[in-house]
Amino acid sequence: MRYKVLTVDDSKTVRIIVRKAFKPFDCEILEAANGVEGLAMASKERPDIVLLDITMPVMDGVEMLTKIKSDPELKGIPIIMLTAEGGRDNVLKIAKIGVRDYIVKPFKEELLIEKVGRVIDLKPITEGPMKSKSILDPCSILVIEDKQTIVNQIQEGLKHTPWKINSATTTGEAIDYCSRNATPDLIMISLSLPDEAAFTLFRLLRASVKTKYTPIFGLVVKTELLTQQQAQQVGFSSIVTKPLDISELESKIAKAMNLDTSRRYFHTEGDFLMFKLPENCTQLVVNEVMNYLKPKVSEAVDSGISKAVIDLKDIKSLNMTLIKLLFQSMQTCRELALQFVLVGNDNIVAECKGFEDTRNWTFFPSVEDAKTSMTKVGASAPGAATPASAAAPQPAAAGVA
Amino acid sequence: MSTIETISEDIFQDTMSRSVQDVFRTMLGRNATLIHGTGAANSTGQPWKHPIEFNGQQVVGTVGFIGEISGLIYLYLSAEFAKIVASGLLGISVEEIDAGGDESVNDAVGELTNMTVGGFKNQLCDQGYPCRLTIPSILRGSNFSIEPVSGATRRTYSFDVSGHRLVTDLLMKTSE
Repeated sequence: MRYKVLTVDDSKTVRIIVRKAFKPFDCEILEAANGVEGLAMASKERPDIVLLDITMPVMDGVEMLTKIKSDPELKGIPIIMLTAEGGRDNVLKIAKIGVRDYIVKPFKEELLIEKVGRVIDLKPITEGPMKSKSILDPCSILVIEDKQTIVNQIQEGLKHTPWKINSATTTGEAIDYCSRNATPDLIMISLSLPDEAAFTLFRLLRASVKTKYTPIFGLVVKTELLTQQQAQQVGFSSIVTKPLDISELESKIAKAMNLDTSRRYFHTEGDFLMFKLPENCTQLVVNEVMNYLKPKVSEAVDSGISKAVIDLKDIKSLNMTLIKLLFQSMQTCRELALQFVLVGNDNIVAECKGFEDTRNWTFFPSVEDAKTSMTKVGASAPGAATPASAAAPQPAAAGVA
Repeated sequence: MSTIETISEDIFQDTMSRSVQDVFRTMLGRNATLIHGTGAANSTGQPWKHPIEFNGQQVVGTVGFIGEISGLIYLYLSAEFAKIVASGLLGISVEEIDAGGDESVNDAVGELTNMTVGGFKNQLCDQGYPCRLTIPSILRGSNFSIEPVSGATRRTYSFDVSGHRLVTDLLMKTSE
């Protein structure tokens, strides 16, 4: 997945300058002309970083910043101010609201790239088509941690992936490992290593040509906010807090290594596009799926596939975010004339009945039933079926909501 | 808090000069040289002489600042120089600027003015005169004069930027 950079500035000139600055790098530039548009864009696209002006009509940058920081879903997005509003007191006041950095205009493009590069791993666009690694490809991760329990937790938690987890307990061992072996695809360093070794090691790794662009995570206890802030300012790619949330760690690793994770949710079986949501549908998962939705549906249609099965069988419970995702998915299928049916469980069926907007959705009890019905009848509308507990599914064209 | 009357003419001139030079050097790689500064001249209610006469069209950007000190700065460029500035900022040729119409030039001059006034007022903020910027606006024309109301001081500074004329017109509200 490409990093997304959102530039919020009422001046089209500045937005063009920003776009130009990032042209050599593999990232997507999003634009907004004021705070209202910026908030809408941030909410929709979940950028990886925001460049924010202050003096804008409609809603200024300070108000947008305050709103983002008080939104639980958006507050984690790093923000760099890019504004003509300087002055020591002003900068301090805004920094207290919570910004990653502050650039006062006029600015050099190189400075902008340097500061953004400390927050996200800007990779130069390589010549020729780049083969993106997928979630199914092996990768090597080096963990520098003197607590074996943490290393064990990471190895155990990620054992279902094709990723090889190697470990080192000191800076010396880590440097030694990197010089004797192939460069790891990702490095995690415990920020609690003694004598600020983590930061020394970070600087050494960034100074080396081999590891200059390797994503480097900082591992730190959740409550160590100052250390987290320091690591972010120095330029760690991401912070992973202890106690470890393995599924969040897995998502962060996949994103940092730019892995194509679409196979987790989308694959083809014969002339069907299979779209399956996992049991644990966190906001991260939903964001991932949204990113792949249109490209994967387009890819399927492009290759001649005309039928899709949306499989919700593993989901325990619905919520508004999931419902929105499902609406978006169905809309995308309709736009590309991809016929689809739904597969669900008793719980999902019952819950759907409880929402105004989903009460007419119907489900098949299994993927096989869903596929059979589409093959027999050629479904022309959202999946029709009896709930999972019923004896036999109705034909897809009948009983349609 | 000190009033603006305590700020010397030298400080106004140096502050303005530094901000113009910083903007042109950083954003356009050009040197701006101060040719002449007028110093304050109180309005007497008589018509003011237009600070500079351009042949043909002018593009004038303006941004205000409000706070412990309040005022406006107008940035005067010839239409031709304005296109060159826009071309430099946007990284496209003057011909492409011409094809795009006035909008891109207006926006570029607006942003140039924003950065210049920002640089100017930020230096004064750090000297104890906190204030904030307004959004830019643009004037275009060939036969107009901008005249402050009574009770405002006016200082104009002329610069040479690679052979092109640039004038900054600083209007400030006097302390009561």
